[in-house]
Amino acid sequence: MKTIRSLGVLALILILCTALICPSASAHRVIVQGRVSEIQIKAYFGGGDATPMADADVEIYAIRDGQEELYLTGKADEDGMYYFPPLIGVSEYRAVVEESGHKGEEMVNLTGGAGLAEAEQEEEGLPLTETIAGLGYLAGLAGIAMILAARKMRKQYEKE
Amino acid sequence: MVHISDGVLDPLLWEAGWAVTAIILVYALSKMKIEDVPRLSVITAAVFVVSLVHIQMGPTSVHFILNGFAGVMLGILAYPCIFVALVLQCFLFGFGGVTTIGINTVNMGIPALVAYLIFKSGTGPDISSETRKKASLSGAIAGGIAVVLALLFLAAELLTTGEVFLETTVLVVITHIPIIAVEAIFTGVIVGFIATVAPEMFRQ
Repeated sequence: MKTIRSLGVLALILILCTALICPSASAHRVIVQGRVSEIQIKAYFGGGDATPMADADVEIYAIRDGQEELYLTGKADEDGMYYFPPLIGVSEYRAVVEESGHKGEEMVNLTGGAGLAEAEQEEEGLPLTETIAGLGYLAGLAGIAMILAARKMRKQYEKE
Repeated sequence: MVHISDGVLDPLLWEAGWAVTAIILVYALSKMKIEDVPRLSVITAAVFVVSLVHIQMGPTSVHFILNGFAGVMLGILAYPCIFVALVLQCFLFGFGGVTTIGINTVNMGIPALVAYLIFKSGTGPDISSETRKKASLSGAIAGGIAVVLALLFLAAELLTTGEVFLETTVLVVITHIPIIAVEAIFTGVIVGFIATVAPEMFRQ
């Protein structure tokens, strides 16, 4: 009789141990919460080397119902990065970055994500297409200048 | 760093920049002869492209300007040269701003004209292979001073935006020391070379 009781206690301990060892979430509802805690702004100089705009002045404007209001001001870090928390109910922001006469701005739209997609496309390397285009424009301008100068010369000859 | 962007300066300042630029452009273009066009185009191409050569200096990025070289080589025509280069840099590379093209041209163009006067007063009217050392030295001084003047113009204009003049000037000059040195050496060497092989290019 004593042995049967001991076996019963042992079985009870085993059941309790099994219950404790089981994954804790097995009998719970899983809750996953999504929250955007901060928006990242990155500012750098274009033209090939993508040097970060370190210590640049940053102004963040919140756009609510088409009305723009200054939300935050601050400075970019040494990597040209600035982080700010979004406001509840505001999904559109305009970030203005300025440093020693250089100024740039970017629209950040949390619903469309267009601004973020553009921001991820970092410029790299020299703008070869634009450079060649510029030289082409210069050749065209030189041609126009020569036509005008030649016309001026011809008028002078005709006068003489 | 010498390209001021849109929305930084007071409108009165960039409008004044456009007015000064328009007056000098009209005068310079009235002096242009047909034989100046190829030289003007080649040096404008150099000024346009050289802005892509960047050097990272501490927290900022600096690039070559070549305004002193343009001044020495072109005289008064350096002004339209810099104007055209800045227009192309603005629309193709996004350097500076549309409204500030006039004031940016003043910042780089006036020092270019000063560089020309320094060069001419240093060399005298006759430049030849015999006087190439003098020409080279004058060219180097003109090339360096043009960059320093452009930086002083920039710092003076940023003063109106609330920047501290002395701090801004010291910062921009220190970060541009390599640019000043390289442009002075470049202008000196090229001027010396042209004085030896084709001194007639300086007879304008």
